[in-house]
This record gives sequence, structure tokens and C-alpha cells, in this order.
Amino acid sequence: MLADEIVDSHVLVIGSGGAGVRAAIEASQYGKTVLISKTIVGKGGCTTMAEGGFNAVLREQDTCGGHYEDTLKGGAYLNDPELVNILTQEAPLRMGDLVKWGAVFDFTDADEVAQRPFGGQRFPRTCYAGDRTGHEMMMTLVDRLAATDVVALQEYTVIDLLKDGSSVIGAIALDEKGKIVLMKADSTILATGGGTKVYDISTNSSSGTGDGYAMGFRAGAELIDMEMVQFHPTGAVFPYDARGRLVTEAVRGEGGVLKNINGERFMSTYDPARMELSTRDVVARAIATEILKERGTANGGVYLDVTHLPREQIESRLPVMLEQFLKFGVDIRTTPMEVAPTAHHIMGGLRITPGCRTTLSGLFACGEVSGGVHGANRLGGNALAETQVFGKRAGEAAGKAPVRQKTVDERQVDAWQRRLDGFLAGGTNPAQVRKKLQLAMWQGAGIFRTASALEETLRTIKQLQTVNIKATSARNLAECCIVQNMCLTASLICRSALLRTESRGAHVRTDVTQTHDAEHSPFNHTFISQVRDGIETREVKA
Amino acid sequence: MKELTVTVRRFDPDADKEPRLVTYTVKVSEGARVLNVLHAIHDSIDPTLSYRYSCASGQCGSCAVRVNGEPVLACMEEAKDRITIEPLNLDVKKDLVTDLVPRLEQIASLMPKKETVLPKKADIDAMKPLKDCIECLCCVSVCPAVDVTKFLGPTAMRQEMRLVLDPRDSGDRISDAVRDGLFTCTTCQACWKVCPKEIETPAKAIEKLRAHANRRGLTLPRHKEVAAMVQETGRSIPRTSESFLEKVPAVIEPEGPVKATVGLFIGCVYNLRQQQSALDAMEVLKRNGIRVIIPKEQVCCGSPLIRTGQLAYIDELKRRNIETFRSRNIDTVLTMCAGCGTTLKHDYQTPFTVIDINELLTKYGIEPPARLPIKATYHDPCHLLRGQGIRDQPRELIRQVVDLVEMPSICCGSGGGVRAGNPDEAAALGKKRGGEIRKTGAEIVITSCPFCEFHIAGHTDKPVKNIMTVLLEGYREKDKKKVKS
Repeated sequence: MLADEIVDSHVLVIGSGGAGVRAAIEASQYGKTVLISKTIVGKGGCTTMAEGGFNAVLREQDTCGGHYEDTLKGGAYLNDPELVNILTQEAPLRMGDLVKWGAVFDFTDADEVAQRPFGGQRFPRTCYAGDRTGHEMMMTLVDRLAATDVVALQEYTVIDLLKDGSSVIGAIALDEKGKIVLMKADSTILATGGGTKVYDISTNSSSGTGDGYAMGFRAGAELIDMEMVQFHPTGAVFPYDARGRLVTEAVRGEGGVLKNINGERFMSTYDPARMELSTRDVVARAIATEILKERGTANGGVYLDVTHLPREQIESRLPVMLEQFLKFGVDIRTTPMEVAPTAHHIMGGLRITPGCRTTLSGLFACGEVSGGVHGANRLGGNALAETQVFGKRAGEAAGKAPVRQKTVDERQVDAWQRRLDGFLAGGTNPAQVRKKLQLAMWQGAGIFRTASALEETLRTIKQLQTVNIKATSARNLAECCIVQNMCLTASLICRSALLRTESRGAHVRTDVTQTHDAEHSPFNHTFISQVRDGIETREVKA
Repeated sequence: MKELTVTVRRFDPDADKEPRLVTYTVKVSEGARVLNVLHAIHDSIDPTLSYRYSCASGQCGSCAVRVNGEPVLACMEEAKDRITIEPLNLDVKKDLVTDLVPRLEQIASLMPKKETVLPKKADIDAMKPLKDCIECLCCVSVCPAVDVTKFLGPTAMRQEMRLVLDPRDSGDRISDAVRDGLFTCTTCQACWKVCPKEIETPAKAIEKLRAHANRRGLTLPRHKEVAAMVQETGRSIPRTSESFLEKVPAVIEPEGPVKATVGLFIGCVYNLRQQQSALDAMEVLKRNGIRVIIPKEQVCCGSPLIRTGQLAYIDELKRRNIETFRSRNIDTVLTMCAGCGTTLKHDYQTPFTVIDINELLTKYGIEPPARLPIKATYHDPCHLLRGQGIRDQPRELIRQVVDLVEMPSICCGSGGGVRAGNPDEAAALGKKRGGEIRKTGAEIVITSCPFCEFHIAGHTDKPVKNIMTVLLEGYREKDKKKVKS
């Protein structure tokens, strides 16, 4: 049985964050482009929540080579060098697009885009709009999108990629009432963002449920480095429901210092040269260690202190932080914040070429759902840059791809219809599965990992995948699909983490002793698909 | 964990004819937000509850709802026991989900010029305060003009002003703003009082756009007439009989000991049209120990010009008024017109303190009047409630003399030049006020603004009285009883 509604396009973009909207803007120059989004365009995804900034080389004293080296070093030399080269070369151009299109970034007194220091960088190259940089970008992109003829389908949930033989030809979606809609396209771009909502404590928006990884995997694409999950060092710790809410790196960029319960600036023990502006993996581990060693606060965090900064600097550069903490009764101008690590970003994802092609014909990927740019640890400010650089590339490559004959496989649609009918007849509230998954992932696949804990977590996930979840009404079908995607993405993280028997960047295996440092690691990417998994090796530099 | 009982307005267009209120009891953590309560209902009681959210940190504007009638972001507002959670006052798709997209699509987009132009830091700094908007549409949901006339709403005007300030934009934003309802805003201030980002749209966008429109010759003819009259006579309404200032002495001494001395800023409407209310106020002040100095050379405060963007003559008005009181060494200036009060407090930089009559009388306390056997309702003047934050003081005075029944605080339609410039809109809003008044079952309507007093009187069959008049009636009743006994 085919769905009543079929939407045809040349390019289908799935996801409406920074990467998706940038891709759609670009693709629209080449043919009919449809942007499909689980949320309202401009409101969903994590770009709009991104606070700190956008890394781009803009000054004569800075070089793309420097940005390249910082990114590789920060990424523990696991990054795909070609992708990093593209990122650093093209970030200034994409920044230029945003400024041309009306973005209101902060400017210096010399009327240039202002830049602030961020972790792991030799030059202050992070452009910003106060601490609402991503929001400013999204507003600008949505403005630009409105000037194109892109068709936006908002509050539709894509549940699977459509296959014609081995090729992707679009997607199956549910409208807000739970009705199936088929999307056919010559090229399909996955720009679904990340998935750290699989953890109990996460910075992500409601869309960070890893659907893109799961759908790509099910369709047969290969993913790399899925074990590489960035725990942002500074998330809120209270009240309970606000745990994990991002406290931007810009706080440290502006001069914020970390202290333990004894008032010691503990970063001097972990990275005396870079202190608070060390890379995120290092700072997150430092904070986690302080808390484990009982040098944390009663609320289970450490102090992040900006009280020594001028009030005006806090008010003008960190207005969102000030407002958020005030809402929870803390005036950061006079009282230190309490922070602890929170799951933030998945560095791994679908393997892509410089043209954002995945290993599947017809399928492109850009932004957080793709892997390789950030290696084992992402530098703050590189994700927003990535969305624009690779969003444009994906849109262009997908747009230039040829028009194709496409036949929808009725068996695939029928199978989905049966699965959806099964949810309507199910028994368990999917929220229960989601909560159990999040706790299991936080406990077993967090900052410090062991093979036994990962295996235990995998067993829990497998059990959760068999639960007969229930959609109370057709409008609840999407939730069921999303929870299953979360389970699948979580399993990919655990399986990849087992494959990497070393500590590297954000991935720490406390059960493995190793003699090599990141630069001399014999390992390259982990890879995982329906047909194979493993870890690449490489020649070790002398 | 703690237990909260909340009421949620549910509505499924496929199943319900009318919205229904459903009460739930949920367990949530200490410090839980309204959003966490909705999650708890959805996850543990009724998964069919529909609500929208995304970032859960106050940055995306997806989750705005009304809590006890007030628009808030569900993710930032702390949940309290016994609250009622309803959708914003916009088209409801289901339960708490409103139809935001059509309204978001009406907000203008920047159209870059062909040649590349870059902003300067000064441009950036000017635009930034208007760029905090998260398009949650709380402002649109409370805008009285949006309901009765063709107006795209506050945030659309905010965006037009942001584009005016941007050298990269190629559009004709002033014409667009006029087309989209620039002159329909009553400057009631409701929009920015509910704005989670506190963007002061009336002053920072509407009045600024109107000033640009003025420079382009787009000011409404009726508004131009008012400006011409102010420039010619110093007053915004015509003199048809002896004015208040002509009737009263230069100083009114109180009956008993002097509690305070103030200079009176009377304002055009009390001076020339609603004189009886002002004369009644003098009696109330006299009785309560307030010595009133009344300089006769004072002129219009400029509010009708500032609200309509006609700024050419404003500095002269300000200079004259400030000099009038400064030359007499007056340290406290009393206003009884809500519009004059908010203008003197916010648009002037005065060397003296400005105090509204309700503030003054509650500050020093009043002689108790006799209670009148009347049920009254109170209309909050926008420029008193939202303009000056004066909510409790008039109620405190009213409750001493009559029984008070509340009604929702919504603009009557007389402000912002709308009564003169868009009479149909003003009438539509006045009619809605009339409906609210009827619902209360009150016998009289009390207010504390001469514009509201005059406008509402045209839209209700109940007597509309100034708060000072009602107090004076209480004193007269008291005196009558005293004479009898």
C-alpha cells in the first residue's frame, strides 16, 4: 500500500538546524528543494541554542594553517585532514555569507567582526553575537531561506530513508497527526544534528535524539567514530530538571575560572599551560575527577567564577547566561556558578567525502550527523563553522547530482505501516524506555569507560529494543520511532566504544593501559555498518 | 520530589467541540519548571497531551503558554501548585500547541542590497537590543490591536525597525510598517511587559518607526492637526471654556496640617475637558494634607506627539515644563493623568521627582471616606499599570469606599493616537471593554486617566468615574452623616 501523499523534489533536506537550512539555501539554486523538519524551522535543533561562537580565520595575524593544526591537535589527530582543511579554508567565506545576509555579530571599535579566545586555539578566532551566536545565525539563515523557493514541511517527523535497491531515493515521514507521507528526491541530505539526548544529562534540544545516525545505519550507510562523544565541561547542576543545560565556553573565554570546593584553581594540575582554556575533553575529565575525589560542591559540581570580571562585560558578552542563572536564583555577577560535565556533541557520524557524499548513493550528510571533521574531540566554535561550510557543500553537491528514475519499494512502506500498527497495539509507554536508556548510557558509556560497563549497557539497550512500546494515539507514533532510533544510536556508540581499545580525545577506556599518545596512536577511525565493523589502523609516526 | 496539582486546557479539534479544563496531580523535582510538569503529565498520565518545546533553555521560543492567564516560557517559569496552564491567545492547533507558522512567516526578512555593504559597530550596537527576540509570539498574543484590526503585531514592527537600522537592507521598511499597521498600536505596553527578553517594542520600535514615518510625511492627518495645535497653543485639545488652570488659585492650601507640598502638572485633558475630575481631586488633596502649587505657564507634556513620532517640538515643551517647576524650587511634581505621568517619568529627565496621585495618597494615607453601597469595577489605565507599574495603589484607595470587582487589564483603545487616527479600531476596543464591564455586573466603572475616562464612557451604559470623584463622594457621604448625627 502506498501512502496517499507523495512529495517529489530534486533535493530533500532532512533537518532544519544550521546545516540543514544552509544546505537548502544552496540546493535551491539547482532545482526543487524540500526542507523537512521535526520542529518549526529556526526553533528546533541545536544551532539556535549554540551560545559561544563560530571559528573563522579573519585577521592577518591568524592563518588557516594555524586553525588546521589547532583542530587536529584538539581532535587528537583522529580528524580527517582533508575535511579539516576544507573547514578552515572555507569558514571565513561562510562567515562572510552570514554577514552579507544580515547577521548581527559583535563588532570591534575598528568596525571588524569581533573574535574571542576559545579552548585549544592559539589565536582568538571565535566570532560571536554575545552568547546567542547560534540564534543570530539561525535568524539570518531563516531570513535567507524565506527569499528562496524552498518548500518547508514543518513539524513532520522523518522515520526512515526510502531505498530503491541500494540507493536512497527520499524518506518516509509522519505528519503531526501521524499520517504517512512519502518524500521522493533525486538527492537526500541528512542534516539531522546530533544525539546526546541518549544520555541522562545532555545539552541538546528535543531534536538531539540521534535519528539521523539510526536512519543512516538502517539504510546501510557506514558510520565512523561513534564512540567519540563530547562531554561539555560546564553544564548546570541544579535545579534537578535544569541539569546539563549548557553553560557556554564563552564564560571561560571571557575569563571565567574553575575552582573546587577548597577554592583551588584545579586546572593548574591538569593543564597548567592552557588552564581553563584547555580542550573540552581535558577540562571535562578534570572536573569529573575533582567531583569523584570529593572536591566538588554539595550539588555535585565545581565552581565556575566570573565575579572578578567587570559587571558590564558579563552583561554585554554573556547576557543569556546572566538571564538563565537569574531565573534560577543565581546572580553570576556576584555568585559563582556551579557546573559539571554534560553530554554535548557526537563527533562521529556518517562517513562523508569532501562533497558530503555518504557511502550510500543518493544520500548526503552534513553537520553533526556526519563524522570525521572533529576527530576525537571538537574545538568550541568549530561546530557552527562546520554547519555552514559543509551545509553549503552538501547543498551544492546534492543540487548538482543528476535527476534519476526512482521507484518506491512498496514492501518497505508496508513494513513500516505494520510497524506503526504494532505501536498502536503496544503496551509500554515509550517514555519509560527513554528514561532507562538515558540512565544506562550515563552510567555505562559516559566520560570514563570500561569494556564490561559498555557490554552491560549494550545488554540493557538490547533488552529495551525488544520492549513492546505503545502509541496512545496516531500523534504518538513519531515518539515511538524516535525512542527506537535513540536505542539504535546508543548501541552504535557502545559498540564503537568497545572497538576502540585505547583512550583518545573524549574517549577514555580506564580498562586499557597504553603507551602511545594521540599523535602516535596506531589506530584511525572505528567504522560500523550493517555489514561490517572494526577499527582502522595506520602507520605510526616515528 | 514534590506533588503539584495543575489544571491544563485541553482541546483536540478532531474530538472536542469546546476546550476543556483537566486537572492533574504530578510528582516533580524541586525547582521544576512548567515544562517539567507538562513532561510529567505526558510521560506518566496522559501521553496524548500536546505541547511544543525544543531547547528547554529559553532560547528558541517554542514553548510559550499562559500560566494563570500570563504568557510565559514554559521552560523558564517555575511551576507552582494550583496553576492553570493554557495555550497562548492565538489559533490553537491542539491542547497547548498554537499555530505559530503563519504569523512567523509575516515577519519581514532582510533583503540584501546588490552591492556588498558592511555595517559599522554603531549600526550593530543600535540593532542589538532589537535582536534578542526569540519569536515566541507572547507579544502578539496579548496585543489588543491585533484582535480588532489589520496589524501584524509588535514583533513584526520590532523587525521592521531592526531592518531600518541595518545598512545592508534594501527594503522600504517605513512604508511596509505603515501598511502593516504601524499606526494601529495604542502603545498600551502589554507586549513588552510579557516579553521574556524584555524588548521595549513600543518605545524602541513603534515610536521610532513613527518618527521615521513623520520625516517621510506619512504621519496621519489627525495626528498632524494635534501637533499643529500643540505648537500653536501649547495644548493638544482646543479651549472651549474656562480652563482648569484659569479656575484654580496658584496655591491650594490643605484644610489641616501640611503633610506634603507638590507642584501639580495637570495635563491637557484635565485642563480643558475632564475638569470636574481634576477639581474633585483638588478637594481630596485639600482634605488629606497636601499643599498643591499650580504653576499656570505649564504646557502639554508632549505625549501625544512622542507616541505618534512627531518629535520636532518636543525639546521645547520639555524645556518649558521643566523650567516651570524648577524656577519654583518644586522637588515633587504630581501627575493625575496616566499619560502625562508616564511621559514625565520616562521621556523626560527631570530635576524633580514625579509622583502619580494614587502613589501620593497611598504614600501619605487618606482620611477614611464613608463606604458607599456600590459595586464598582476598575479599569487599569495602560500608562498607569504598565507605564508606571501602579497596580495596587488605586485598588487600595477604591476598596476604602466601594466594593471592587476585578476585570482583565486590557487597553480601552484610546491611547497612542488611535482614538484620533483610527477611530474604528478605538471603537472596537472600547466595545470590548464595554463587554468586560457588563460581565462584572458592576454599577460603576472607576479609572484614573482622563483619556480612558472619556473613551470608555462612550462604550458602556454604566457611569465612568475618576477615582478622585468616587473618594470625594465618600467624603460627602461622611459629612452628610455627620451633620445628621
